[in-house]
Amino acid sequence: MNAVGHFFQTFPLDLLIIQTVNGLVAGMILALVASGLTLIFGIMDVVNFAHGELFMFGAYIGVVVMAGTGSFWLALIAAALIVALLGAALQIVTLRPLIGRDPLNTILATFGISLVLQNFALWQFGPTARRMPEPITSHFRLFYLDYPWYRIVIALLSAAIIGGFWLFLKYSRFGIWIRATAQDRVMAQAMGIPVPLVYTGVFAIGAAMAAASGVLFAPLVGVNHAMGLDWVLKAFIVVVVGGMGNLGGSIAAAIFISLLESYATIWVDPSQAVIVSFVVLILTLLFRPTGLFVSTPR
Amino acid sequence: MSEQWKHEKWAQDIWYRGKVTRRSIVGWGGGAIGAMMLVPAPWRAAFGAAKPYKIGSEQPLSGAGAAGGKTSIIGLQMAADRINASGGINGRPIELVIVDDETSPAVARQKVTKMVQDDAIDVHVGGFLSNICLACMPFWQDAKIVNMITVCLDTTLTTSACNRYTFRLHDYAPAQAVAFAPTLTKMGKKWHIVFADYSWGQSTRDAYVAEIKKNGGEVVGTTGIPLGTADMTPFLSKISGDFDGLFGIFFGKDGVTIANQAYDLGLTKKYIWAGDGSISESSNLVAVGNKLDGFTAINRYIPVFDGVLDTPYLHRFFEEGKARLAKVDPSHPLPDKYVQSNYEALNATKVGMEKAKFDSRDDSAKLIEALEGLEVKESDDFPQGDKTLRKDDHQAFLREFIFTIGNGTYHLQQVVDKDKTFVPPACKFQAA
Repeated sequence: MNAVGHFFQTFPLDLLIIQTVNGLVAGMILALVASGLTLIFGIMDVVNFAHGELFMFGAYIGVVVMAGTGSFWLALIAAALIVALLGAALQIVTLRPLIGRDPLNTILATFGISLVLQNFALWQFGPTARRMPEPITSHFRLFYLDYPWYRIVIALLSAAIIGGFWLFLKYSRFGIWIRATAQDRVMAQAMGIPVPLVYTGVFAIGAAMAAASGVLFAPLVGVNHAMGLDWVLKAFIVVVVGGMGNLGGSIAAAIFISLLESYATIWVDPSQAVIVSFVVLILTLLFRPTGLFVSTPR
Repeated sequence: MSEQWKHEKWAQDIWYRGKVTRRSIVGWGGGAIGAMMLVPAPWRAAFGAAKPYKIGSEQPLSGAGAAGGKTSIIGLQMAADRINASGGINGRPIELVIVDDETSPAVARQKVTKMVQDDAIDVHVGGFLSNICLACMPFWQDAKIVNMITVCLDTTLTTSACNRYTFRLHDYAPAQAVAFAPTLTKMGKKWHIVFADYSWGQSTRDAYVAEIKKNGGEVVGTTGIPLGTADMTPFLSKISGDFDGLFGIFFGKDGVTIANQAYDLGLTKKYIWAGDGSISESSNLVAVGNKLDGFTAINRYIPVFDGVLDTPYLHRFFEEGKARLAKVDPSHPLPDKYVQSNYEALNATKVGMEKAKFDSRDDSAKLIEALEGLEVKESDDFPQGDKTLRKDDHQAFLREFIFTIGNGTYHLQQVVDKDKTFVPPACKFQAA
C-alpha cells in the first residue's frame, strides 16, 4: 500500500497532463494529414507519395497569400483551395490515365510528382526557410510552461475540418457518391455515379486537407521544401495502423500514436520515444494487419 | 536585303568561283581537328588550352539538406570564378564537378565512387552533413585523394576518425567550446543542453560539457532530439528544473524548429538562451522573426561589419555573396558560414596546390605536405581572418565571434582570437 502511495506521490502528474495536451495537439494535426491520405487510398487505391509535398505546397501558398493580404485565415482558405485545384489537375493529368493499371504505376507516378513538387519549390522559393507568423500569440500557464494558445487552436481547427468533412461525407450528394464509390465502385458506376469525377474530387479534397494542415503547422516550424517529409512518414504509419482507407481508424490511430509517443517521453529519451510508432506499426502488421481500429477484420 | 552580301565581289570570289567548296571545308576541317588531337598536352598548355584541374564537390542539393548544399555551392562557385579569372592554379583553370548526395550517406558513397573512377577528379572540396563526411572519408583515403571538408563540423573528423587525406579549414566544436565556455559560465553556472541527436550534435554536446565543467560550471541535464523532428514540443516540455541556461545545438531547419518551439513554450524567457551559431544562421533568421531575440551564440562568420569585422575583404565577400544568393533565392538571404567556409576552403586548396606544384592526384602526397601547417592571412581569399591548419590533425584554428541576436539581427559582443581557441590534437594518423 505504501508502495502505491509512494508511486502516486512521485508520479509526474503535471508532466502527464502536459504530455496529454501535447499528444492530443500532435494527434489532431497528424489526423488531418492522414485523413487526406487515407481518403485517397480508400477510394482510389492510390498510395499517394506526394502527400507530403501537397502539405508543403499549402504552406508556401499560405506564406505568399499572407505576405500579400496579411490575413492568416485568408491564407489558410486560399492555400486549401489552390492546392485542391492543383490536386485535381494532377489527378486528371497523371493518375486518371493509370486507373486499372498495376498499383506500382500509381506509386511511381506519385513519387515522381513528389520529386517534381519538391524541386519546383526549391527553385521557385529558394533554399531559405520562410516565416509564417501565427495568428494568435498569447499563452496560458500550464504548470511550469507558458503554453501557446495557438497549439490548442490548431487542434480545434483540425477537429473542425475533420468534423466538417465527416458531415460532408454523410449528408452532401457528393459525399454519398464518395461513400458509394468506396463501398463498390462498379455498382456505383452502374447506378450512374460519375466515378472518374469522384476520383478527381477525392484527390482534390485530400490535397486540400494536406494544404490546410501545412498552413496550420507552418508557424511552428517555418516553411521549407522538405517540411512534408517529416509528417508524411508518420501519416503513412497512422494509415496502416488505423486500417488502410478507414477514415475513423486513421483519426483514432493518429491520436493513439501521438499520445503514446508523448507519454513515452516522460520516461525515455526522445530518440527512444520516436520508436514507439514503429513498434506499434510492426505489432499491427504482425497481429492485426487490417488495422487496429477496424471492427471486423476482413 | 539580307541576301545582298551574295552580290558583293568578295562573296562572289569565295563562294561562287569554286575557291571554297563543301568538300574542301570538310577536308580542311577534318584535318585541323585531327592535328589538334595529335598535338601533345604541353603544347596545348602553351596554346592556352590547358587541361583544367577537376575539383570534385559532394553536396546535398536535394532532400532535407538541400538548403545548406545550395548555399554552399555559391561559396565554391565564387572562389572558382575568382581563381579562373586570375589565371587559374599553376596556369591551369579549374573545373568544379559537383554531385548531389541527396542527403543520404548511401547515395553519397555511390556518387563519390563515380567522381573518383569516372570523373577522375584531382582533389575533393566539399561535404556538408557530418554523417556523410564520416561515411565518405575512407573512400578519399583509399583513392589517395585530398579531401578538404567545407562544412561538416563533427569533432571526430579530425580526432578519432581522422585520416591523412582529410583537412578541415573551419572550426570544430572543441575549439568553439574553449572560446565560448568562459562567457557561458559568466552568464550562468548551471546549464541544460538540448542537441540534435546525431554525430555532430553529440560531439558538440561532449565538447561543451567538458569546457563548461573546466570553467567552473555544470551541465545538469541533456536532451537529444532526433534529426528532422518536426514537433519538438513533447521533448521540450520535459525540460524544467533548477538551472540557469539552456544551450541549443541544432542547424538548418531543426534550428528554425527549436527557435520557434522553445520560444513558444516560454523556455527562452525562463532561462538564459544560448547555443551554437548554426541555430541563428542568417538563412534561419528569416524564418524565426524576433523569436531568437536575446539568443547568445558563437560562430566563425556573421554577416555584419561591427568593429574588427569592418574590413574591405568582408565587404567585398558579403556583396558578391549576397548578389549570387539573390539569384537562387528570391528571399534575398545574406551570406552565411556555409558560403564562407566553402569559399575559403577552395582558396586554401589553391594555395596548397601552387605550393606543391600539384599536377594531378598522383601528387596528393605533395599536396598534403603543402597543406600541413599552412598559415593563411586575412585577405580577399580569406576574408574571415587568419588561419592555421595544424599539421598534427589537419584541423584549422581561426578567430570566433560571440554575438547576441536583437531585433532579428546580430550584435557582436566579443572576438576570440584564434590563439585562444587551441585545443590539443587528438588524432593519430595511420602509417602511410
